[in-house]
Amino acid sequence: MRHTSISSGNVARAAAIAVVLAVGAVACGPEDSGAKSAGSAASGTPQKGGTLSVLNNEAQTDFDPARLYTSGGGNVPSLVFRTLTTRKRASGAEGTKVVPDLATDTGRPNADATVWTYTLKDGLKYEDGSPITTADIKYGIERSFAAELSGGAPYLRDWLVGGAKYTGPYKDGGKGLDSIETPDAKTIVFHLNKPEGEFPFLATQTQFAPVPKAKDNGTKYEEHPVSSGPYKVVKNENDGEHLVLERNPNWSEATDPERKAYPDTIDVRSGLDQAVINQRLSASQGPDAAAVTTDTNLGPAELAKVTSDKQLAARVGTGHFGYTNYIAFNPNVKPFDNPKVRQAIAYAVDRSSAVNAVGGSSLAEPATTFLPNQKAFGYTPYDPFPAGASGNADKAKELLKEAGYADGLTVTLTHSNAKGGPKGPEVATALQDALKKAGITVKLQGLEGNDYNDTVASTKKEPGFFLRGWGADWPSGGPFLAPIFDGRQIVQDGANFNTGFLNDPSVNNEIDEINKLTDLAAAAPRWGALDKKIGEQAVVVPLFHPVYKRLVGKDVKNVVISDWTGVLDISQVAVK
Amino acid sequence: MNGFTGFLLRRIAGAVFVLLALSVVVYAVFYVAPGNVAQIVCGERCSPQQVALVHDKLGLDDPLYLQYGHFVQGIFAGRDFSSGTGVVHCSAPCLGQSYRTDEQVTDLILGKLPVTGSLVIGAFALWLLIGVGTGVLSAWKRGGVVERLLTWLTLAGTSTPVFVIGLLLIIILCSTLQWLPFPQYVPFTDNPEQWFWGLLLPWFSLALIESAKYARLTRSSMLETLAEDHVRTFRAYGLTERAIVGRHALRGAVAPVIALSALDAGTMFGSAVLTETLFGIPGIGRQLVESVRTVDLPVVVGVVLTTGFFVVLANAVADVLYAMADRRVVLS
Repeated sequence: MRHTSISSGNVARAAAIAVVLAVGAVACGPEDSGAKSAGSAASGTPQKGGTLSVLNNEAQTDFDPARLYTSGGGNVPSLVFRTLTTRKRASGAEGTKVVPDLATDTGRPNADATVWTYTLKDGLKYEDGSPITTADIKYGIERSFAAELSGGAPYLRDWLVGGAKYTGPYKDGGKGLDSIETPDAKTIVFHLNKPEGEFPFLATQTQFAPVPKAKDNGTKYEEHPVSSGPYKVVKNENDGEHLVLERNPNWSEATDPERKAYPDTIDVRSGLDQAVINQRLSASQGPDAAAVTTDTNLGPAELAKVTSDKQLAARVGTGHFGYTNYIAFNPNVKPFDNPKVRQAIAYAVDRSSAVNAVGGSSLAEPATTFLPNQKAFGYTPYDPFPAGASGNADKAKELLKEAGYADGLTVTLTHSNAKGGPKGPEVATALQDALKKAGITVKLQGLEGNDYNDTVASTKKEPGFFLRGWGADWPSGGPFLAPIFDGRQIVQDGANFNTGFLNDPSVNNEIDEINKLTDLAAAAPRWGALDKKIGEQAVVVPLFHPVYKRLVGKDVKNVVISDWTGVLDISQVAVK
Repeated sequence: MNGFTGFLLRRIAGAVFVLLALSVVVYAVFYVAPGNVAQIVCGERCSPQQVALVHDKLGLDDPLYLQYGHFVQGIFAGRDFSSGTGVVHCSAPCLGQSYRTDEQVTDLILGKLPVTGSLVIGAFALWLLIGVGTGVLSAWKRGGVVERLLTWLTLAGTSTPVFVIGLLLIIILCSTLQWLPFPQYVPFTDNPEQWFWGLLLPWFSLALIESAKYARLTRSSMLETLAEDHVRTFRAYGLTERAIVGRHALRGAVAPVIALSALDAGTMFGSAVLTETLFGIPGIGRQLVESVRTVDLPVVVGVVLTTGFFVVLANAVADVLYAMADRRVVLS
């Protein structure tokens, strides 16, 4: 996938997560208890003005609302593209809520949640002062179906009536997609294939940003997309390597309670080395005092320094983006068809050494549940195969004996060659050591980036035992569990994420039932219960959830990190 | 002059052949390389149907020879691409359009040439200065403490990877002492002063890595020249050692140095990737690595051809310079 995308769903590209996620996306997490919320580096009331620099590693490529793959509309993208709904800009768990943006509410469902209606607020304008209409939102969504503008999340295609066959507005002879109705300039109605109680979450993605048809120039639109948000693009060099955003005078603060938009200018520079980004933020000289990063974690050197330097520690933002790194099994490959073998491995894993392999306890937390450990996802603690902190070799041996491998077992673990990554050789080696104690000899098979992604996502080439990661498209159990465990989402000839080939009618039904709920608070515990039920089958073994630790410059104020994105929200930051 | 024209024509014909052969090889390698570019462009969550549409849109449904044919046609006659809402013309010499970003490869490379060019030119000047300087000094002060110290320093520079030496320089000079701004590429045309300061550390890091080679080469070449008969004659005439080393021996010794440095400068257009990455310089080497990672064939071919062009050019320049420095050499 385009790494651009950032985010969330992407799942598979784990290696890049730390880096990537941030960029586009957005995510922000909670903060740590100590340092906190409003607590930014500099004190005093935030003021308007100044230039905020964003120093990133990965470029914000394909800056077109049709092409971006974001969680909650992205971080930088959300400064330019307003959407029907958006994420609440608040620290911690409060920031996992979905709130209205262009629309007056988060959506009005019909009785069975298959039809969703939205009404636009009054006084919404583009950067050129022309009014925003629902026809433009419909057009923006239709564009995302064009092959020329691919890259977004799969939900529109799967959920909208006729979405699976629609090929976009450039090829439909002006007919458009019938399942999106715009009875007037302020109303828009979506017709879905089946009940989708989480539709308001989907409406936060950039595909729900308005695009004026007259300004659409296809693949060139990303050079200067028309802004509906507080900032407009004044420079976009090298496909997002250097973006300069300035205030959009036609954005009305009165219609947008979420975005604070303190700085006058936001300068996003990417392609920087991660060690250099941390050096610059730590030194905080000149313009770097008003700089942040949305995609670069602290390195080992800075982490060590932070423990002894209180001033520096006050400038570290801690966040949790919903992400889980796990062991995946292919039950079609022997001996992983035997649940006892999978359970034995689940007992044998040493989660503390896996956590250490990705930078230690400040950059990852051990996981025994597939769902991230946040209430919004429906987190329900469970541990069906208690391995303790460092593995239960005795129990694993016992299970192996029952499975007929009393004399031990030799298996191959496939991992990515991306060094230091959550699916990389360090984690694989940590597992190898732990499993050895249980009498399991692990041979390692490392694959390069594209080869790894292709292999583990192919139903034909999928290995038996490998490392995988999954991130949140939005903070709920649905997009976390369905692609991995819904039997109807097994993709035979493309990228498949249901790597355990789980096709259990009771699981599939429960997913459909929960999706009917529009009361998200009621849905969450049911996702948690479903996660627990699936976890007992040991088709995956959760290992850890990543934690983000990022520095900000010394003049940066109002750092807000939500549990939705895990990184500071640029729309809230002030530099004066 | 006639001989020179012939030399030039032969070189150009050779270069065209080499570049075409290069493009064929890259196409062939990519055909068998892992990675489905349509899936990468479309995104991991794309359905097989969507991936098929993208595959078709990129022209990947055509047989390989036809894809290559379109590529060659673009170079000589230009090509048209769809932007969805209209047609974008890519005029000759058109190297195609990026699969991933839809940028025209020719524009993309032209945009990056001044970046890598800035890096290479400054580093080139510095490595000649440091390399030849230490080489001459150590030949002159052979066997002394100075020679040993210089040799040790240049060797240390060469054997330390750029991401170590460069990062150390950044930490010491920019972060701790704050004598220099953090390196950043600013185009010369925007602000020459910031261009200079922003590139100083990258130049220095790259030059350190290259200079030991030149120091050793200059030294041995100097020693060889200093042992020759005409130098002995100069000594007999009573010329000062400084005049012999600085004026007469250096001239004879410097020919191979110039030839090698021209070659290195050419190669550097595609191979300064580590320096570009560490210092955040958006140059050609980094583009190549990124494009290989995303299986973006048109960009990879464009970059390989560009760097290939510079290597071929550098070879020709090296031959000419060598002949100018050493009259005994005949261009052929």
